[in-house]
Amino acid sequence: MNRISDDILSKVEKPARYTGGEYNSYIKDKEKIDIRYAFCFPDVYEVGMSHLGMKILYYTLNEREDTYCERVFTPWPDMEKLMREKGIALYALESKDPLDQFDFLGFTLQYEMSYTNILNMLDMAGLQVRASKRSEDDPIVVCGGPCAYNPEPLYDIADMFVIGEGEEVNNELLDLYKEVKAEGKGKTEYLRRASGVQGVYIPSLYDVEYNEDGTIKRFFPKESGVPEKITKRIIKNFNDIEYPDKFIVPYNEIVHDRVVVETFRGCTRGCRFCQAGMIYRPVREKCTAKIIENTDKLLNSTGYEEVSLSSLSICDHSDIQNLVFSMAERYEKDKIGISLPSLRIDSFSVDLIKQIQKVRKTGLTFAPEAGTQRMRDIINKGVTEENLMESARSAFSSGWSTIKLYFMIGLPYETDEDIAGIADLGQKVVGEYFKVPKEVRKKGLRVNLSTSIFVPKPFTPFQWEPQIRMEEVEAKIRVLRSAIKSKAISYSWHETPVSYLEAVVARGDRRVCDLLVKAFEKGAKFDGWSEYFSFDIWMEALKESGIDGDFYAHRKREYDEILPWDFIDIGVNKAYLIEENEKAKKAVVTPDCRLGCTNCGVDINLKGECFEGAVSN
Amino acid sequence: MRYLIKFTKESEIKFVGHLDLMRTIQRMMKRSGLPVVYSQGFNPHINLSLAQPLAVGVYSGGDYFDAPMEEDVEESAVKEAMNRVAPPGIKILEVSKIRDEENKKVFKSMAAIDAASYRIKLRYRDASLLEKEMDALLEKKEWTILKKSKSGEKVVDIKPLVRSIDFRIVENILVVEAVVSCGSKDNLSPELLAQLIKDSTSSVDEDAFIDIKRNEMYADVDGKLVPLFKYIKTI
Repeated sequence: MNRISDDILSKVEKPARYTGGEYNSYIKDKEKIDIRYAFCFPDVYEVGMSHLGMKILYYTLNEREDTYCERVFTPWPDMEKLMREKGIALYALESKDPLDQFDFLGFTLQYEMSYTNILNMLDMAGLQVRASKRSEDDPIVVCGGPCAYNPEPLYDIADMFVIGEGEEVNNELLDLYKEVKAEGKGKTEYLRRASGVQGVYIPSLYDVEYNEDGTIKRFFPKESGVPEKITKRIIKNFNDIEYPDKFIVPYNEIVHDRVVVETFRGCTRGCRFCQAGMIYRPVREKCTAKIIENTDKLLNSTGYEEVSLSSLSICDHSDIQNLVFSMAERYEKDKIGISLPSLRIDSFSVDLIKQIQKVRKTGLTFAPEAGTQRMRDIINKGVTEENLMESARSAFSSGWSTIKLYFMIGLPYETDEDIAGIADLGQKVVGEYFKVPKEVRKKGLRVNLSTSIFVPKPFTPFQWEPQIRMEEVEAKIRVLRSAIKSKAISYSWHETPVSYLEAVVARGDRRVCDLLVKAFEKGAKFDGWSEYFSFDIWMEALKESGIDGDFYAHRKREYDEILPWDFIDIGVNKAYLIEENEKAKKAVVTPDCRLGCTNCGVDINLKGECFEGAVSN
Repeated sequence: MRYLIKFTKESEIKFVGHLDLMRTIQRMMKRSGLPVVYSQGFNPHINLSLAQPLAVGVYSGGDYFDAPMEEDVEESAVKEAMNRVAPPGIKILEVSKIRDEENKKVFKSMAAIDAASYRIKLRYRDASLLEKEMDALLEKKEWTILKKSKSGEKVVDIKPLVRSIDFRIVENILVVEAVVSCGSKDNLSPELLAQLIKDSTSSVDEDAFIDIKRNEMYADVDGKLVPLFKYIKTI
């Protein structure tokens, strides 16, 4: 066990990040368990502790009596410096044991710009960052989460990837581990056998050949018996899946410091830029009674004063109105707040939020994503200007005076008119405010526009499209700024080259792994944090690793090109993604699949049922 | 009914700040299922008031808060309900009903406190001169030290705020037991006392964390210090 002295803790920011011992954390007898699993989140404590996936897997892994799952977060650079100075290896919060004593190190991949933290964490644990250099006795490094759908940039960092939802497959992998261990066999044999489990990808068992132009010629298993395709895992009976009845309650404040209850997985909207909307298909809901049961238990066991209903588009739950009203009534006496992230843009949603925010009217946030109808049709964001104006009108007449609108710039097929349209839309929202009688509307109108730079992601209809260049981004921002007229409108934007690197890594292949290793060696860490991100480090790393970033970020791919992630089957057919991209070019929309199946293939390919028993609201 | 509750902030959570500790206690109370009282306003929270904030890094074997309940619950039941759901870093030691009488000033733990006892541990690189230096310090008539506050700096004599002080040396650790003024009338922070000792002795390990534990908080009853949980039973 590491002894982290008070001398050290008293010198760092927020020492409670490193001490563990929170209410509802698991303490197990190491002598009585077979498998030690370190769940690693490659970001700081307050971010990682807010992550629902970690809460779920921490719970399901610890529900196994033979397994002890502990938590590890990236130490903030002040702590890292002291740990390295004093020779303290990275440790898990529960036992304070260093990571090399664990059987598994499980990293969750939530965003590409956290990858250097993974390398840094392995290094802080005294392990080689490259899987090929680690020994048979070192822990098995496994990665999962949304970014694992393109695992290739980490192919020589991780020993194993889990593609899809983890609850069931983790159990299969742990059972197999015990089996192999009992036979006296090691990591190599384990990985070989794990390759037969659905959803599991063992990168060391595959190889790639490239064409002269740098595109992939062939991707293939190196030995027989290793599957050519990896099919993602889904939980078929989502309603009855075990959900945590307790969450850890941190002593210090975390980003999302509340109960979070999952209401459904997947999304039916089919926005063409959205990776989550494709990879999490099919939609599976929890029924209202189950959601309330989960909420009751979690509120009782945590003492939290707020519950947030989680999903990709919460207002699409088929019983949302009844659910929200039932919860508001049930928890009123205990002063429990209910929050709905991801509001849909329509008056129904505004009415709903009105019901649960009776007193304090914080700002409302909507994401029209694009400024003109043409552009919204291209990205298949099924929202009209009238939807937004209705929502704004309804919000202003019910006491809101601040509205935030989120947009993307650099979307495929975008023109300057589409950019100016963002300002125009903001102006029309301002207009709606002044249509509401003075005695009804609240003073102090603010319309906050904000833009982010579009990053094309694997498994979306835009996966073949180039990201726009930084100069174009700057030009677009200028167009938008000059188009804003009203003083009530404020505009905030990101102009950072982070999105370029995100684009390189998101659609990267195995060669991008060298870039990550090089960037890490040069000191890249916490790249998602502007105070630590260094573009210079990355530019040097690109140069020294001989990687052409533009090849990944700015190149338009042909439909017949072998993409690095093509060997993964998410259930949605590639032909469907092509068809969607073609429709985008013509600005033709594809309706929400609740209104009728759009034949993406997920129900057939995964032998699941979409949207069991639920209806459109 | 209102309750005075004596609790510990264990060493393992010494780095948890005042607001986070408040939140932690509020969540513990919510979990307990006791009939807690909520504040009015936009953002209702559980009513409670902590007697005297602890600085980050300081832990305590005897801290207090007072909190109302909607109903009259047995003291032992309150203690049991809270300890059942207390986080590892907090233990409830004593629970007493506060018998507020009509037309009398409402008891507030914050206002009732006059003194607190602390144990301060300082690490030295070389403790050979320490006993002599400490004896000399205790002999001095005035303990002047530069006190920094939001309003500026000034030199103050803190000796009148120290009711008793004792020390022992265990290997290279100086252990100081002190009872000092605490509360809204006069207050001496243990950190300032520790600073005075550091300034008055040689070879202190500047790199070391100063370990400070609050042991108890007292009310002054005719010059006699009575622990708050005993004092509450007498009024």
